[in-house]
Amino acid sequence: MGHHKKRFRRRAKICRFTVDKIHYIDYKDIELLREFTPTNGKILPRRVTGTRPIYQHKLTRAIKRARFMALLPYVGQ
Amino acid sequence: MPLYELGIIVDPEVPPEDEAAALDRLEAIITDADGTIVEKDARGRRQLAYPIKKKNYGVYHFWTFEVGGDVLEKLNFELRTNDVVMRSLILNLDRELKRKRKLDKKRDERAAKKAAKRAAAAEADAAADAS
Repeated sequence: MGHHKKRFRRRAKICRFTVDKIHYIDYKDIELLREFTPTNGKILPRRVTGTRPIYQHKLTRAIKRARFMALLPYVGQ
Repeated sequence: MPLYELGIIVDPEVPPEDEAAALDRLEAIITDADGTIVEKDARGRRQLAYPIKKKNYGVYHFWTFEVGGDVLEKLNFELRTNDVVMRSLILNLDRELKRKRKLDKKRDERAAKKAAKRAAAAEADAAADAS
């Protein structure tokens, strides 16, 4: 009953790649990839970011490539 | 010939002439096999996200080039055996950009159609005004 006194309005999740029409995710574009990796270096799940599955796959690949090329950390602070 | 993208991290402590020599050798491998270098992008010295070979900095180079696929083996061997190159990554851009090209084409077609429609509408309006 009184459990949910505070009602949070959930922010609408939008897929950034669909909106901005980014058709190819480049691993060199670290500014973009940073948005999907918090400082701990993990990849944010699509349930958090709202990214569409196709783009999430591509994003993961790009992030892993960027990690290999030492553009992004494997483990953050 | 497929389009490839190559990313290399060069050891920052080697003298510049050694770096240039190593890059020239890589370029020679590509051009000797009738390949062409489309774009060269030197990003310069950059801090690495984690140390590689106990070094905290690296010199980045990104090239796009066209060669026959059988040359990649040779290129990879050179990249692995060369001490100047700390890390490298070759991507087949044709495969990577397949979807992008398709979607871009679709978008352009749609834009062209829209423009044509608008032009036709404007013409019809002008005709209506004149009469």
